[in-house]
Amino acid sequence: MKIDEIGMVADMAFRNLTRHRVKTIITTSAIAVSVAIYIFVDAWLLGMNIESRRNIIVYEMGAAKIQSPAYFSRKDDLPMYESFSEWQELSSALEKSGYRSAPRFVFTGTMYSRTGSAPLVINAVDVAREKELFRYPDYIDAGSFPAEGTRGIAIGTFAAEKLHVGIPQRPDGDELENELVAAASGDGERAFIRSLYVPYRSVKEKKRLFTVEEDSALADNRYILRSDISESDMRRFWNILAGAGRMDVRISTTIDIKALPERIAGEKFTHDVLPLFSGDDRAALSAAYTKDPLLGDYILTGTDEKSNARVLALLLEADYSGAVRHVNQLIDAVITGVVNSPNPKTNGNIAFIPIDSLQDETGLLLDGRVTELLIRSAKAKDSQLPGKFESVESILSALSKSSCAPRFSGSAGTTVPELSIFSWQSYSADYFAAAAGDNISTRVMILFLFILSFIGIANTMLMAILERTKEIGMLRALGMTDAQLLLSYMIEASLVGVIGSTIGVIVGCLINIPMVNYGIDYSAVTEAMDGNIGYRISSSFKSMWNAGTIVATFFAASLLSGCMAVVPTLRALKMPVTETLRFE
Amino acid sequence: MSVITTTDLKKEYSLNGIVIKALQGVSLSFEAGEFAAVAGPSGSGKSTFLHLVGCLDTPTAGSVFIGGTDAAGMKRNDLALLRRSTIGFIFQAYNLIPVLSAIENVSFPLVLLGSSRAQANERALQVLDQVGLGGMENRRPKEMSGGQQQRVAIARALVKRPKLILADEPTANLDSTTSREILELMLKLNEQEKTTFIFSTHDPLVMEFARRLISLRDGMVEKEVRR
Repeated sequence: MKIDEIGMVADMAFRNLTRHRVKTIITTSAIAVSVAIYIFVDAWLLGMNIESRRNIIVYEMGAAKIQSPAYFSRKDDLPMYESFSEWQELSSALEKSGYRSAPRFVFTGTMYSRTGSAPLVINAVDVAREKELFRYPDYIDAGSFPAEGTRGIAIGTFAAEKLHVGIPQRPDGDELENELVAAASGDGERAFIRSLYVPYRSVKEKKRLFTVEEDSALADNRYILRSDISESDMRRFWNILAGAGRMDVRISTTIDIKALPERIAGEKFTHDVLPLFSGDDRAALSAAYTKDPLLGDYILTGTDEKSNARVLALLLEADYSGAVRHVNQLIDAVITGVVNSPNPKTNGNIAFIPIDSLQDETGLLLDGRVTELLIRSAKAKDSQLPGKFESVESILSALSKSSCAPRFSGSAGTTVPELSIFSWQSYSADYFAAAAGDNISTRVMILFLFILSFIGIANTMLMAILERTKEIGMLRALGMTDAQLLLSYMIEASLVGVIGSTIGVIVGCLINIPMVNYGIDYSAVTEAMDGNIGYRISSSFKSMWNAGTIVATFFAASLLSGCMAVVPTLRALKMPVTETLRFE
Repeated sequence: MSVITTTDLKKEYSLNGIVIKALQGVSLSFEAGEFAAVAGPSGSGKSTFLHLVGCLDTPTAGSVFIGGTDAAGMKRNDLALLRRSTIGFIFQAYNLIPVLSAIENVSFPLVLLGSSRAQANERALQVLDQVGLGGMENRRPKEMSGGQQQRVAIARALVKRPKLILADEPTANLDSTTSREILELMLKLNEQEKTTFIFSTHDPLVMEFARRLISLRDGMVEKEVRR
C-alpha cells in the first residue's frame, strides 16, 4: 500500500470515530484509566523493588558471599557448625582484585534483658570491615556501634523496643515514668529525662503525601523523643540508663560443633547409621567404628582423617542428629546502640557484636572461624546494583588466580568443594517471593482492568462494523481488498487505544510526580510487622520512573486495541458482497 | 469489441433450504459504449445478473468474460482488483462514505488505484464539475439532496474511467424530475466518455432512455429491444 492510501484509510478511520462519540469517549476513558493505573502501580513496584534491592546490598549482605555449600543448603537453620577458617587469606586475595570483604559468624540465641527476652539472629562482625562494607552502622538511633574487642552489642530497633533496652524513640506514658524516669537518681536527672520527651499529639510530624496512621488510643498515650537533643545530652541520657542496668543483657546460645559421635548404640548403628552407607562409604564407616564386644555399642576408633571426614559428611547430609554436638553458652554483653536503618531487616530481631570478643571459651570458641565472608566491589557506589564485576563468575575467576583456588574447586576424591560463592539474589528469597507475589497479583488485577477496556473496544467495533455492513459492501465493490478493510478497521480501533493511552500516560505521569518526589510513609506498617514485610523498605518509599513501561504500555494498549477489530471485521468479510449490499 | 460477454450464466442459491434458480442460462454480450438496461419484475434475476457481471458474486455455472478474461474462476482478491480497475458502481441508495466530503468520496477509487491524493483531487474536481457539482466539493453527503448525492456517486463511478459502469436501480430513490436529470447526465457521459452503462431497473423512465432494453423473467431473457 502506498503512503497516500494508508493516509486516506487512517484519515477515514479517524473520522469514523466521531460517528460514535459517546462510545468512543467511554472506551477511550477506560483505556486511559487502565494505562494510568498500570503506570502508577508499575512505578510503585519498581520503586519498592529497586529500593529493596539496594537496601539488601547496602545494609544486609553486599553483592555476594563466600560460604560453604553445606551451610547454604541448610541456611534457614543457620548451621554455625558449617563454618570455615582462614578467611583472611581469601580477604587479601579479594582485596588484590578490587573487592572489599567482611567476615561474619552468624548464630542464634535468646537475649535476656531486665524486663524480657527475645530470640535474635546475632551477627558477630569485624567492626572495621563491617563499617567499610555496610551502611547500617551509620544508622544508630541512639548510642554507638560497638567497638572492637568489647562485648558491646548493637541491636535492631524493634528488638530494642521489645526488650526495653536502648533509648526508646516512642515510649508510652508508663514506660517513660516506670522505666526511664525511674532510672534517674535525683530530681535533676528526672526532670532532665522528662524534658527529652514530648507528647505525640503535640508534635506536628512532617507529613508525607500519604501516611498510615497509628491507632488513636495508643497515639494519645505516646511520647516522642525530641529531635533536637544535643549529642552530649543523648550521651548523658544513655549513661543514666546504662548506669541503672538497662543496657545489660545476657545471650543464651548453643555452640554447635560437628564431630563424629564417640559412641553409637548398637541398635541405632545397625538401624539408622548403616543403611546410610554403601560401597566404599561403608568401608570408611567400618574403618571409623569398632564394635564394643561387651556392650554391643560402636566406638569411634578410626584415625584416618580423610575417611572420618567422609563419614561425618554423610551423616550430616542425612541429618543424623548425633553428628552435631551442642554446648550451652551464656554470654554477657552490654547494649551500645540501636540500629534503625532504611532496611527493616537490620532493625528487627537482629544484633551485631564484635567477632574478636567471641574467640575464646567465654565467647563461642570461634578460633578464627566464620560462617560467611561478604563481598562488595571496592569501587561500588551505594546507589548502584551489583554489576558484572560483582557477579559470582567474576569473583570466582578473580580468586582462581590466588592460592585459595583449591578451596573452591573441590579436592580430589570429593566433588563438594569446601567453599562456594553465592549471589545476593540467592540469599534474598523472602524478598523475591514477596516481590514476585505482589508483582503477579497486582499485574493480574490490572490485566482484568485492561481486559474490561478491551471488551469495551471490541463491543464498540462490533457495533460499528455491524452498522456499517452495507458500507463495507460498497467499499468492497469499489475494489478494497480484505486486507485493506481489515487494516482500516484496525487503525480505527487502535486510535481508541492511542488516544486512551496518551491520556493515560499523561495522567499516570502526573500521579507519579508526587509519588516519585514525596512517596508514602510506611513506618506504622513496618513497625507493626517487626520489619518482616519482605520488602526492604522501612519508613517510607518512593515510586520510580520506568520509561520502558510507559512506552511499552502505550504501544501495547494501542496495538491490542487495534486487534479488537479483527474478529468483527473478519465476520463482516465472511458475508458475500451482494448480501452486505442488501444489508439494512 | 465486446466489453462484457456472458455465456449460459446460471446462478442458484438456497434460501432456508429452498433452492432458488435466480439465473437459468443467460448469454449476453455488451459492446463498448452501450447504454443498456436490464428490466424485469422483482425476482426476475436482474440484480443477480448485475452482481455477476460486476464480479461481486460468482456464477454457479457459465462464464463472465470481462475484456476477454473469464472472471468465473478468479480468486477473491483478484476479483477485488478487477473491480477496482475496470468497473464502476452506482447504487440505489447512493452508498457514499458519510464521513468523507464529496471530493474525498470521488477521489477515493483513484487513491485505491495508487494515485497521489493531489492528483486524485484534481481529477475528482474535474469530474464533479462534469456532473454539475462544481463548488460543492467540500460538502458531506448529509448536506446534499438525493439527486446531488447520486451525482457524487456517478462521479465516483466515473472518476477512474472504467470500461463498465453498473447501476443498480439508480433512480429508485429519486423523484421523476431528478431521475430525468440523472439519466440525461448519464447519457451525456456515456456519449462523452464512451463508457458502457448497464442498468438494472423497473423504472419506465430508465427503459425509455435505454438504447438497448433486455427484459428478464424467471432468470431467462424474455425479450430484447434495440433502439
